[in-house]
Amino acid sequence: MRSLFALLLLPFAFAAKDPQQQLVDLSTAGNGVIKLDATTFDLLTSPKRTWSAAIQLTALDKRRRCTPCMEFDPSWNMVAKSWTSVPKEQRNTHFFATLDFDDAPTVFQKLGLSSAPIVYVYPPAEGPRQPANGKTAPSKYDFSTGFEPGPLAEHISKHTPIPVPYKDPIDWARWASMAVGGLGLLFVLRFISPILTNRWTWAVGTVVTSLIMTSGYMFTRIRNSPYSGGGGNWIAAGYQNQFGQEVQVVAFIYGLLAFSFLMLIMIVPYQSSPYRQRMQVYLWTGVIMIIYSILVSLFRVKNRGYPFKLFL
Amino acid sequence: MTTAYPLPSNLSPATVANTASLLRIVALALISGAAIASRLFAVINFESIIHEFDPWFNYRATRVLASQGFYEFWNWFDPTAWYPLGRVVGGTVYPGLMATSGVIYNFLHALNLPVDIRNVCVLLAPGFSALTAWATYMFTKEMKDESAGLLAAAFIGIVPGYISRSVAGSYDNEAIAIFLLMFTFYCWIKALKQGSALFGTIAAIFYFYMVAAWGGYVFITNMIPLHALVLILMGRFSSRLYVGYSSWYAIGTLASMQVPFVGFQPVKTSEHMGALAVFGLLQIVAFGQLVRSHVSSAQFQKLLYASVVATGILGTAVFGLLTYKGWIAPWTGRFYSLWDTGYAKKYIPIIASVSEHQPTAWPSFFMDLQFLIFLFPAGVILCFRELRDEHIFVIIYAVMASYFAGVMVRLMLTLTPVVCVASAVALSTLLDTYIDPKEPDTGDDTKSESEATVVSASGTNGSSFSATPTPTPSKKIKKAAAAAAAPLPTSGIISDLVAATGGPTRRGEPIKTKGIFGMDSRLIVIMHTLAMLSFFVFHCTWVTSNAYSSPSVVLASTNQDGSQHIIDDFREAYYWLRQNTPEDAVVMSWWDYGYQIAGMADRPTLVDNNTWNNTHIATVGKAMSSTEENAYPILRKHDVDYVLVIFGGLIGYSGDDINKFLWMVRIAQGVWPDEIQEPNYFTPQGEYRIDDMASQTMKNSLMYKMSYYRFAELFGGNQAMDRVRQQQVPKVGPTLDYLDEAFTSENWIVRIYQVKKEDLLGRDLKSANAFGQGKKRKRTKPVPRRRAIV
Repeated sequence: MRSLFALLLLPFAFAAKDPQQQLVDLSTAGNGVIKLDATTFDLLTSPKRTWSAAIQLTALDKRRRCTPCMEFDPSWNMVAKSWTSVPKEQRNTHFFATLDFDDAPTVFQKLGLSSAPIVYVYPPAEGPRQPANGKTAPSKYDFSTGFEPGPLAEHISKHTPIPVPYKDPIDWARWASMAVGGLGLLFVLRFISPILTNRWTWAVGTVVTSLIMTSGYMFTRIRNSPYSGGGGNWIAAGYQNQFGQEVQVVAFIYGLLAFSFLMLIMIVPYQSSPYRQRMQVYLWTGVIMIIYSILVSLFRVKNRGYPFKLFL
Repeated sequence: MTTAYPLPSNLSPATVANTASLLRIVALALISGAAIASRLFAVINFESIIHEFDPWFNYRATRVLASQGFYEFWNWFDPTAWYPLGRVVGGTVYPGLMATSGVIYNFLHALNLPVDIRNVCVLLAPGFSALTAWATYMFTKEMKDESAGLLAAAFIGIVPGYISRSVAGSYDNEAIAIFLLMFTFYCWIKALKQGSALFGTIAAIFYFYMVAAWGGYVFITNMIPLHALVLILMGRFSSRLYVGYSSWYAIGTLASMQVPFVGFQPVKTSEHMGALAVFGLLQIVAFGQLVRSHVSSAQFQKLLYASVVATGILGTAVFGLLTYKGWIAPWTGRFYSLWDTGYAKKYIPIIASVSEHQPTAWPSFFMDLQFLIFLFPAGVILCFRELRDEHIFVIIYAVMASYFAGVMVRLMLTLTPVVCVASAVALSTLLDTYIDPKEPDTGDDTKSESEATVVSASGTNGSSFSATPTPTPSKKIKKAAAAAAAPLPTSGIISDLVAATGGPTRRGEPIKTKGIFGMDSRLIVIMHTLAMLSFFVFHCTWVTSNAYSSPSVVLASTNQDGSQHIIDDFREAYYWLRQNTPEDAVVMSWWDYGYQIAGMADRPTLVDNNTWNNTHIATVGKAMSSTEENAYPILRKHDVDYVLVIFGGLIGYSGDDINKFLWMVRIAQGVWPDEIQEPNYFTPQGEYRIDDMASQTMKNSLMYKMSYYRFAELFGGNQAMDRVRQQQVPKVGPTLDYLDEAFTSENWIVRIYQVKKEDLLGRDLKSANAFGQGKKRKRTKPVPRRRAIV
């Protein structure tokens, strides 16, 4: 009799099973990430939730051709995995979940989303961890910091009971290659030390460095300028802007002009044949004049108001 | 000896020396005159006025110093800045600039010359540029000789890269700092060359002056130790280095700690640790040298070597430990962002937001340095040719400064001196070579090409070959001869280079005759050098008058007939504030205008250009970027009476607040990430727009409302156009409930709004406003009008 009673209660008990426990089970099954569909999405984001949730909305299927999704997914899983190591009582109040477009297109429609990946963080709507300002609407993660796991964990930590214990994995390969490289350098040093102690090695290094720096290389690095504008257009419009190719061209022009002057100073006076010397003087003077004119006209392209020009 | 042109032969060497010295003095005087004169464009085109933003604070502080004396200035607490926090000015300022003007002012008054303090401030930078020219002359003289020094002085006198920060009225720390920089470097080179404790001490004194004047002193703090370190690594340690460095470091560091703003930083922060470490290393190396000179045992020397290395490693470990424990501050802030260029944007947006902290594109380099920029590498190579101790300094300086100038536009200023020095060395070597009247020994005219190559390759005297033709040219020479037929004989050049690069240091004897044949070769090189120099003068004059002489407080435009039209909105608005508002009325604006409001309107401000409190700035940013309802409590809590915005949409002034708005949002977001989010200010397509398509958050932000309030009305029903953004402004403009328009300047550049007090009846201002305009609250159902009964 009693067993029958229990049997009767069983489906009831199953249905009434605590939704949080259900989510915990799902989370454990998915190695820290709940794989959502439309129903579990509603369960996770129910307006009576006492837990918080971070949901990745993505489209990982090959046919969707969402490269950013593919790039972001590993970071997401790493952060979610790091959450599994926190103590149980905290772990079960925050969930990481992934919703693929192909599993629940309705959710995308409901949220009015047309792009992926997107990360929503749902704060708890009820219970002790409810946010003080009463805002229970999800907040969107801003991808301006890129797809790196570090900033992501930092952002999600603002909504979790304890910070996400994410640490960048140690890149053993990099360390190993650095160690090997260092040892190799020490070994090679014995053979190349005559080159290293030669002042002209250093001279070339110094001059090349300053040429590259004075042609705006750091600008292209910091601003991530493209190499060229496409369609054969390699000069960026505007005085405070430049493309990567301009660095090369300008550095080459500066270098050539400096080289011509060095020829006039260091080589030409040592010529012992007057004829050859005269030819070289004319040659290098000509090179300086022409290249300098090119440089000035290039500058006129960048700065339209520049009033001077040379031969070109 | 044959000469290319006749030389007077009846001159005594003393006459020549005296004339040369007189000419040098005259030339230096003329250079100083040119340096000062070319900086006066701003005064001539506009008036004697303080420029930009920071100079306004320096000017205000100098006025306090001049009128109330140094002690009052030193203890000055300014309650009107950073309202309500206030600012301890004496302890948060580099006082060197103000002290300098104060001394000049008092000196002139002691001579009964009643000069206005403003004119002292305006003309300080041009005056110091003449001194900079002289200091550069002295520095370059140590590198090569007097003629190179004169060229360098002329270059630095008129080069736009330096003029940009030192025109008349640009009363900023850099105005005197570059002179101090160059003079400290000169004294250091002198101290190093002579091993002189006197010059080391003078270097330390000027270093102290520099520390008191400019935060960029850290450049010296690291340049000199780096130079000393490289010299040690090259095995050029000498007692001269030891004496020079130790006297500079010990006195300089102790002196620099007397500046309150610097305090104990020289022993506590990473920027200064290099100098300390090199000081320690020098002591160890000097001790090692001392012991070595007394002990002969080879084994003991090995032990000594090991112990020196071990001490170095131990020192580094201790340094690391101290940093780890937090006793030495790690690399932070401004200086760190020079190395890790993404750092500032991520963690200190306030530094990244300043326009002079942006990276430099190549046109800026060319604009500021013109032909010096490509003579500069040639000069560096010439330094490598001689490579005395002082040349190493120029080389290190060249590399470091060109990197820094690439990272930050502002640091172009530190690159400029070394560019002038190096290119002066190059150009003066060129002119020396081609003006020198001495004709080399003419070889046989029939000498073949291959012979010439042999001469340079084998490095023997050319005359021995002129008689006998090469008997059996080796394989290498054949190849060289073949290459020589080409217009660019590469192998010949390389061998020549090897011959030439030996320089005078190579075994002390000339390898072969050197010189130029004939007049035409000389003339063409000299003519084109002169042409380049005069082009440089034209370029500098044009850049200075057009680009760098605008006070930015007063703007100029050109009328259709070519005459100049002055736009004076800023001063108009600031004087309005000064004359029409109570003296304690607090004005809120973005921090750029804090110093100007304090200086010209004399009203308390919330934030200013001394960006020391990020939270306070973020508060202002938050008020500007939130809705009126949210901003109002912030304004009231800070006792704000007036809000000032800069709006350029009417006349196309692009440096206005709407263009700076995203930085306000970013800085506010850094402190309140939940309330302010940058993406909300963009259209869904990710564009930054102000027209109909602008996002709702953007349209409701206080900044947007204040900028475009009643703007569309100006156009009388036509489509309103923002001339900066080139976008059409919505016809129905924003409305304001919590603010009242108080003043708008002639060209609408400055707009001032008064913050309303709370409603007397306790209503919120929005409904009070609606009531005032006769709008009744909407009813759910309009009351039907009673119809007359027929």
